[in-house]
Amino acid sequence: MSVVAGKELRIVGFLCNWCSYGGADTAGVSRFKQPTDLRIIKVPCSGRVDPLFVVRALLTGADGVLVSGCHPRDCHYTDGNFYARRRLEMLKRLLPFVGIDERRFHYTWVSASEGQKWQQVVTDFTNRIHQLGPLHVKKENEG
Amino acid sequence: MSTEKVKEAIAKILPDVETVICYQQGFDGLHTTPLFIKIPEEINGLIWNPLCVQNLTSYLPSIKKKVGIVVKGCDSRTIVQYLQEGLIDREKIVIIGVPCTGVVSVKKVLREIGHQPVAGVAFDDNGNIVVKTSKGDRTLAIADVCPDKCATCQYPTPIVYDYLAGDPIKSDKPKESVHEDIRQFDEKTLEEKKAYWEKELEKCIRCYACRNACPMCICQDSCIAETREPHWISQKLSLTEKFMFHMIHAVHLAGRCVECGECERVCPMDIPVAKLKKKINTEMKELFNYEPGVDPDGKPPMYTFNVDEVKIKEHKL
Amino acid sequence: MPDTGYLPKEKVKDFMRELAKDAVVYAPCLEGDTVIFRPFSEERTLCFDRPANSPPKSVIYPQSEQLFAFEYKKDPEDHQKMSVELKADTNVPGMVIFAARPCDARGFTIYDRVFIDTDTPDPYYKKRRENTLIVTLSCAEPSPGCFCVGVGGGPAHKEGSDAMMTELEGGYFIEPVSEKGKAILNKSMIEDGSPYLQKAQEAQAKAHEAVKNPFETDKLKISQDLFNNDAFWEEAVSKCVSCGACTYLCPTCYCFNITDEQASGKGERIRSWDACMFFHFTLEASTHNPRPTRFQRFKNRVGHKFVYYPEKYDGAIACCGCGRCIRYCPVSVDISEIVSNLTESGQKQQQTAGSAKK
Ligand code: SF4
Ligand code: SF4
Ligand code: SF4
Ligand code: SF4
Ligand code: SF4
Ligand code: FES
Repeated sequence: MSVVAGKELRIVGFLCNWCSYGGADTAGVSRFKQPTDLRIIKVPCSGRVDPLFVVRALLTGADGVLVSGCHPRDCHYTDGNFYARRRLEMLKRLLPFVGIDERRFHYTWVSASEGQKWQQVVTDFTNRIHQLGPLHVKKENEG
Repeated sequence: MSTEKVKEAIAKILPDVETVICYQQGFDGLHTTPLFIKIPEEINGLIWNPLCVQNLTSYLPSIKKKVGIVVKGCDSRTIVQYLQEGLIDREKIVIIGVPCTGVVSVKKVLREIGHQPVAGVAFDDNGNIVVKTSKGDRTLAIADVCPDKCATCQYPTPIVYDYLAGDPIKSDKPKESVHEDIRQFDEKTLEEKKAYWEKELEKCIRCYACRNACPMCICQDSCIAETREPHWISQKLSLTEKFMFHMIHAVHLAGRCVECGECERVCPMDIPVAKLKKKINTEMKELFNYEPGVDPDGKPPMYTFNVDEVKIKEHKL
Repeated sequence: MPDTGYLPKEKVKDFMRELAKDAVVYAPCLEGDTVIFRPFSEERTLCFDRPANSPPKSVIYPQSEQLFAFEYKKDPEDHQKMSVELKADTNVPGMVIFAARPCDARGFTIYDRVFIDTDTPDPYYKKRRENTLIVTLSCAEPSPGCFCVGVGGGPAHKEGSDAMMTELEGGYFIEPVSEKGKAILNKSMIEDGSPYLQKAQEAQAKAHEAVKNPFETDKLKISQDLFNNDAFWEEAVSKCVSCGACTYLCPTCYCFNITDEQASGKGERIRSWDACMFFHFTLEASTHNPRPTRFQRFKNRVGHKFVYYPEKYDGAIACCGCGRCIRYCPVSVDISEIVSNLTESGQKQQQTAGSAKK
């Protein structure tokens, strides 16, 4: 069920295998109600998320992108999310410079046991994207 | 005159190195082009003046033999950055540093003279460039036609060198001025910024001159803009694909761009692509108090982390 | 009808509007400091004072074009079976390239030999070429790097143009070159050109004198010894950074790549410009690259233009001397200098210079 009935937007989520994907799973198993706009892509670690994944998604059709990994100090690979934090923060600050609303991109930390938190994150982020509406960065232009 | 001092220094180091990279006159009065000196007789071909703009250090990582190189203050930042990233062997490079009072942007001169063909160029003692065209001589203050980087230059004297051709110069430009243009641009609305980049990037022909001239684009032949698997960029000529390429260049330069301005200087379509990287630098300064290419022992901020990041706050939804 | 025309300056836009009635008119327009061929519209700023940064080649030979679209379809009866549906859009509007320089127009004649005058003409190029009228503007003054006269062209050379304009004080003298070009003299704003003929010829001759010819003789004779000597190339282009600026801006470079791009059973076959200066140009699937170094790639670029193409096409040189690769090269590589060093007379000069050095 989407937030605005009948009109789903496209949100891409990059979730680390060890924590956030587990958290999403917990939320599912517990039957927490969540909006359905999010398409999840499982990655080994938030450190695997190249900021350019986010850019590519936003440029080619996504209305919002969510990245979620283990809490700092809890990364399965020890340091992955520490690197991710720097890269993703850099991206968040770059986006508005090229005219993309940084609110369309969110990164956060959700552990495998935090089903409820996951539900909250997805609901809030989806709401935010619906408030912002669809993104039309894409413009075909032959030159 | 620095020219004589540069020549002297080259003569001194030439026996120890395979080649010395410096400048010679190019195809017209306004353009210089690299000169690779191997034998003493070739030293006479060298020129040194404010048209020596190109950042020659980009040749260094691909040269395996011992080389000498002539650098301005800003060029030396590339060497520092290479050292931070372990891309060159300091032992194999002999650096002739030249304290610099600013160079000339050929694009700005051409704009001033209405893109007239240039018959000759001279420099006077008052910091002017005199450009001869069929419509007469034009005298321009170098400070008015310098690349943007010179207007706020903090490092006119090279940061690393083995020989210094001339007396060190201290910058008289305020530190805050460096990122002022970025802060101003950022004040525009999202729509304005989007429209600005769409208009600029639409001109891009994806010739990749900006990438290939960039000293810090070290992937070169393995750039992800050209890989098929994964296929980051399509062969279509849409604005999206052009945009994507520039985001690749910018993101891969995060915390590494030494602000030499080569990408912008070489763009045949005059696209201000250095701005994107400079924006990230502004943020790197703010977040990690990091400035690329100034401390040989520094570490690029994306290559490291702090368990507790002082300046990164969790984002609320 | 007179055989030549005259277009007063104040009527240029009217004339372009007239042409735009049944064709898309591409004209050099100013964007910031950059001159680019754009479809003419009222809000654009025309710029005829200098050659465009990029030539009009993409009008007839687009940087990227869809050859056809395809879609895989499952057989509703038998799900094992797939069929593929192809769709090609072969509609090409009428087009005019307006105020291109003579060298730009001449560039198309170099493509014609490859894409049209063969047993297997290229239908995409051919159709665009046939639907395009090329009205050039002769050059009053060479730009930095120009050497058209060295490769058999000139600032008023007419090969490739359908009609040529020459700027005079108050207007443009117009000479039709082809049948297509003659038709434009019928337009209402075109006056009789005969009173201006002599002035135009004088202007053209003066411009011709002003262009440098970097090659000693009219006939370029490349020394095979030097051409096949790797040391010559290493020395000549060690500064090249191996980008695509020279090839993409060149009105006579025509190498292309073909790629299929698809997602979920649907896609398109795209032809896009390629450049011999790129590492990937000759990269083989085995990862072997027969031209791994920059100088080898540059040798190919010069070789194609000044050796292989002439061998194949009766001595025609695949360079029109427009000077763009010189003007816009990030490191000021000068092809005219390199070729002149490669000629037999250039070789002699170097030998004497070389022995003096040692
Ligand atoms: S940035 Fe500084 S060192 Fe570099 S050219 Fe300008 S004034 Fe010289
Ligand atoms: S140099 Fe300019 S035209 Fe070429 S790829 Fe870079 S931005 Fe695009
Ligand atoms: S991105 Fe541009 S300014 Fe930065 S190092 Fe590369 S060429 Fe220089
Ligand atoms: S010659 Fe110049 S424009 Fe051509 S590939 Fe080399 S550096 Fe680029
Ligand atoms: S090789 Fe250079 S001078 Fe010759 S046509 Fe191409 S761009 Fe123009
Ligand atoms: S494994 Fe979850 S962030 Fe590294």
